[in-house]
Amino acid sequence: MTINKTINGNETTLAIEGRIDTTTAPQLEAEIDAIGDCTSLILDFAGVEYISSAGLRVLLKAQKLMNNQGKMVLKNVGEDIMEVFDITGFADLLTIE
Amino acid sequence: MTIFRLVTSALFPVAIAAVIYLLTKDSKFKDFSYAKKQIIIGVVFGISACLATQFGIPYEGFVLNVRGASPLAAGLLFGAPAGVIAGVIGGIYRWFSVYWGVGSYTQLACSLGTIIAGLAGAACHKYMFDKKKPGWFYGLFIGASVEVAHMLLVFTTHINDMQNAFEVVRICAVPMISANGLSVMLSCIVVSALAGEINRKKLGKKQITQTFSVSLLICVIIAYIATSAFTFVLQNSISKTDVEETLRKNVTDVEKDVLEASDHNLLQITRNIRDDVIKDELYKVTPSDKEQIRAQLTDMLEKYNVTDINIVDENGIITVSSYAEFDDFDFTSQKDGQSAEFTALLKDDEEIVQQYGPLDYDKTIERKYAGVKLPNGFVQVGYDFDHFKTSIEQEVRLAANNRHIGDTGYIFILDQRTGEVISAPEGTVTSEKAAGFIDTLKSSKALTVLNAENEEGKLYCMHNFCEGYIIAGCISVNEAHFSRNVSIYIGIFMQVVVFVTLFVLIYILIKKIIIDNIHEINNSLSQITGGNLDTKVNVRDNEEFASLSDDINSTVDTLKDYISQAEKRMDEELKFAKNIQHSALPSVFPAYPNRREFDIYASMNTAKEVGGDFYDFYFVGKNTIAVLMADVSGKGIPAAMFMMTAKTMIKNLAETGLPVQEVLTQANEKLCETNEAGMFVTTWLGFIDLTTGKLTYANAGHNPPLLKRGKGKFEYLKGRSGLVLAGMEGVVYRANEVDLWPGDKLYLYTDGVTEATNSETQLYGEDRLVDLLNSQDYKTPEESCKAVLQSVMDFTGEADQFDDITMLQFDLYEIKTTEEIVVIPDTSSIPRVTEFVEKWMGRSRVDQRTINKVNVVIDEIYSNIAYYSKAGWASVKYNRDDDNIYLTFTDDGSPYNPLEKEDPDITLSAEEREIGGLGVFMVKKIMDNVDYKYEDGKNVLKLTKKI
Repeated sequence: MTINKTINGNETTLAIEGRIDTTTAPQLEAEIDAIGDCTSLILDFAGVEYISSAGLRVLLKAQKLMNNQGKMVLKNVGEDIMEVFDITGFADLLTIE
Repeated sequence: MTIFRLVTSALFPVAIAAVIYLLTKDSKFKDFSYAKKQIIIGVVFGISACLATQFGIPYEGFVLNVRGASPLAAGLLFGAPAGVIAGVIGGIYRWFSVYWGVGSYTQLACSLGTIIAGLAGAACHKYMFDKKKPGWFYGLFIGASVEVAHMLLVFTTHINDMQNAFEVVRICAVPMISANGLSVMLSCIVVSALAGEINRKKLGKKQITQTFSVSLLICVIIAYIATSAFTFVLQNSISKTDVEETLRKNVTDVEKDVLEASDHNLLQITRNIRDDVIKDELYKVTPSDKEQIRAQLTDMLEKYNVTDINIVDENGIITVSSYAEFDDFDFTSQKDGQSAEFTALLKDDEEIVQQYGPLDYDKTIERKYAGVKLPNGFVQVGYDFDHFKTSIEQEVRLAANNRHIGDTGYIFILDQRTGEVISAPEGTVTSEKAAGFIDTLKSSKALTVLNAENEEGKLYCMHNFCEGYIIAGCISVNEAHFSRNVSIYIGIFMQVVVFVTLFVLIYILIKKIIIDNIHEINNSLSQITGGNLDTKVNVRDNEEFASLSDDINSTVDTLKDYISQAEKRMDEELKFAKNIQHSALPSVFPAYPNRREFDIYASMNTAKEVGGDFYDFYFVGKNTIAVLMADVSGKGIPAAMFMMTAKTMIKNLAETGLPVQEVLTQANEKLCETNEAGMFVTTWLGFIDLTTGKLTYANAGHNPPLLKRGKGKFEYLKGRSGLVLAGMEGVVYRANEVDLWPGDKLYLYTDGVTEATNSETQLYGEDRLVDLLNSQDYKTPEESCKAVLQSVMDFTGEADQFDDITMLQFDLYEIKTTEEIVVIPDTSSIPRVTEFVEKWMGRSRVDQRTINKVNVVIDEIYSNIAYYSKAGWASVKYNRDDDNIYLTFTDDGSPYNPLEKEDPDITLSAEEREIGGLGVFMVKKIMDNVDYKYEDGKNVLKLTKKI
C-alpha cells in the first residue's frame, strides 16, 4: 500500500493505493496520527483494492478525530469498498462523496 | 633394331597424347581458353610429327616414319583446330626438310600426307565422332587408312616413274601403315583408359550409331575384301595371259625366223640342184644311165652338203635317188604324211619345203625335205640337222640374239639332241646349265608357261621345238607381274581410300539424317514425358520424320485433352474426398461451450491435393482431454485413407483409457500390420488432466509443439520422440510429462505451416511462427490460430500452397484442484497466505472483485488466528469446482468458534462504535457459507463462496 499525502492549507489529502488490511492498516493509522490540526481530511480511495476490518478500525479512529477538529471526506470510493461500508454500517458514519 | 625403332617411333605420339590428356584434366592448363589450348596441343603434336621426320628409320634402302599419327591423334582426340595445326606444321617441315638431308623423292607425297592426316583427324572428330573420343578400332582404321592415302600419294606424284614409286611403296607400305595405325589406336586406348571410359562404354545399351557403324564397317570391309580379291584375281589372270602371250609371241617369232632361214636355205639348195639336174638333163633317166646319174647325184650331195637327192617322174615315182633303196618309191602310194605332201608338185605347185621331222620311210630318221618342179616330175632334196645347222647357224643366232622379252627377258636356243647352246645372251644360259634342264624341256609340253629359277630369282619360261632346236623364252616373274602388282597396289589402296571415304560419308549422312533427328525427337519426347505437354516435336528434314513429328504431336494433343478431362473429374472427386476428410475432424467451435477451464481451436487448410494432415481432440475420461496432431507421409487419396485409418485407430485406443505412450505403441503395431503401401504418419498425442493440469504426451516423429507458460513466451516443448507410426514394428513409445497451469497455451502444428513457401522459395520458418505468436497476447486459441494462418497466407502471397496447413491451440484456463499452504501464524505471514490464495484464484480465473472480497476474508480470519488463537501452525486450503471456491482454515490454537460471536451493532455512530467483532461479521457477510468445527484439537473453519 502506498499513501500520497497532499497538504493544502488546512486541508490534507491522503491518496491511498493498494490494500488496506491487517498488515498495512498501521501505516495508514500513522499517517492519520500525523495530520496535526488540519480541519479537513480527504481520503482518496480511487486506488484502494479492498479494505479489511483493520482498515475500518483506522477509518473509525480518524472519523472520531476529525469529528473534533473539522471534517473527513472519502472520495472515489469503488463499488467493492462501498459494499463493505454498506455491510458494516460504515456507509452511514463516514462522509462519502 | 628396325622394329625397336619403329615401335619407339609409334609410341611417341601415344605418350604425348597421354601427357596432354592428363594436363587438360588437372593443372593450370585446363583453365586456358579453348583457342589457346588448341594452339598449344597443335604445336606439340606438330613438333612430334617433325621429330618423326627427323628421326626416320632406314629400312631396305628407304626410310620409314610414323609421322601421320601425330596430327591424326591431335585431331581425333583433342580437337579439329589442333589436328589442322599439327598437320600443317608437320607437312611444312617435311617439305623443307629436304634441305637438310631428308629424302626428296617422296617430298610432295609426305608433305601432303601429313597435312591430310591432320585434316582427316579434324574432320572425323568434328563430323563423325561429335567431338567425343573414338573407340580403338576407329583409331586403327583411320590411322591405317590415312597412311594408305599417303602411299597412294607416292604413286600419284610419280605417275611417270612407277618402277621406283612401286619399290618405295612395296617396301614401306606394310611397316608404315601398321605403325601409324597402331600408334593412333594406342593413343585412343590410352586416352580412353585415362578418362575411365573403357569399362563404362560396355554398360548400357548400344547406341544406334554404334550398332550402325559396326555393321557399316563390317559391310565396307567385306566389300573391300571382295573387290580387292576380285581385282587381284582379275589382274593375276590378265597378267598370266599377258606373260603367256608375250612368251609365245617371242618364241614363235624366233621359231618362224629359224624356220624361214632353214626353208630358204634348203629351197635355195634344191633350186640349185634342180638347175644342175636340168642342165645335165639328169631327169631324163633311162635304165641304162641310171647308175651314172646316181653317181652324179651322189657327187652333188657332197657339193651341196645334203643327205639325199631324189628325182621323181610325173607319176610320183622316184626314178633315181642318191640312195639306191629309195628308187621306185611311189609318192602317190601315201595318202597323207610327209611324202604325200610332195604329190602337190605333180599338179600345180612349183616348190615345197617341209619342216624338219621323221620320215615316213623310217620314223627314226629325221630330215628336212624340199622339192622343186622339173619339166616332168620334181626333184626332192633332203638334209639332216647336222647339214643344215652349219648352213643356218648364223641366221639362227641373229634371230635369237636380237630379241628381248620385256626389260630383262631373253630367248635362248639349244640343240635339241645335244643340249648345246646355240644362242643365248651372255651370262644367261650355258651348255652346262642347259644339261640340267634339257630333259625337263624335252618332256614338257611345248608353248606352255613353265616355272623356272635362276640366280636372280624366279622365272617364267616357254619353249618350242623347231628344226631340231629348242627355242625358249624367259622372263623374270617380278617383271612379268610388275604391272599386275602396281595395279593391285594402286587398286587396293584406292579402294581403301574410296571405301573409307564412303564409310565416313554414309556414317555422317545417316547420322545427320536419322540419328540427329531421332535425338531431337527424343529430347522433345523426354520433355513431354517430363510433364511439359506443350512441347512440340518439329523435325521436318524429310517426309518420314515430318509425319512422325505430326503423329507424336497429335497424340500428345489427344492425351492432353484426356488428361484435362480426367483432371476435371479428379478435381471433383478430390473435392469430395476433401469434404469427407474435413468432416471427420472436429470442426465446430467452440467445441465445448460448457467448459470454462480450457478453450481449444483447430484449423486445417488443405492444399489443392488431398493431404494427409489431421488433428483431433476428444475426452478420454471425465476430466482428461486428448489433443492430437499428425501428418501422413505423401499426399492424395492414399494418404487421406491412411489418415482416416490412423485417426480412428488412435481414437479407439485412446478411449479405452490406455496411457498415452501405450496408445501410440499399440497404434503403431496395428498400423504396421495393415500397412501395405509403406506409408507412415508422424503423430503428437497429449492427454491433459484438467483437474491437475498435468500434460502427458508421446511423440511419434512429429515436430514438437510450442508451449507458452503463463506470462512467458512461446517456446518449443522438446520432449523425447519416437519413430514415426507405421514405420517399424516393435517400437515402444515413452511418455513425457509437463505440468500445465491455467493461462498456459499449447500450440500444435504440422510442417505445412513452417514449410509454406513464397514465390522466392523462402520458407515461412519456425522463427516467423514463434515471433508471430509472441508478438501479441491473443486472447483465445481461435484468435491466435487465425492470426498464424493469415500471416502464412500473407507470406506465401501468390505462390501455390503445396502442403496442408494444420494447427491446433489449447489454452488452459483453470484446473480443479485442492491446494494448501501451511504457515506459522503471525502477522508477517499474512501476505504470503494472501498471495498464495490469490494466485490460485487468479489461475482458476476467479474475477477480481471476488478475489478482493476473499482477500478481505483471509485477512480477517488469519489475523484473528494470528492475534488470538495462540496456534503453533495454521493452514489454508484452497479448492474450487465449477460453481464455488472453498477456503478451509485450520489451526491448532485454542478452540474458538467465530460464529458464536455476536454481530456488532452497525447502526451506532462513530463515537459509540466499538472496534472489534467487525472482522468476523464481514466474513459472514461476504462468504456464502461459513462452517466451523473443532476436531482433533484443531479449529476448522470452512468458507464457501459462489462464483
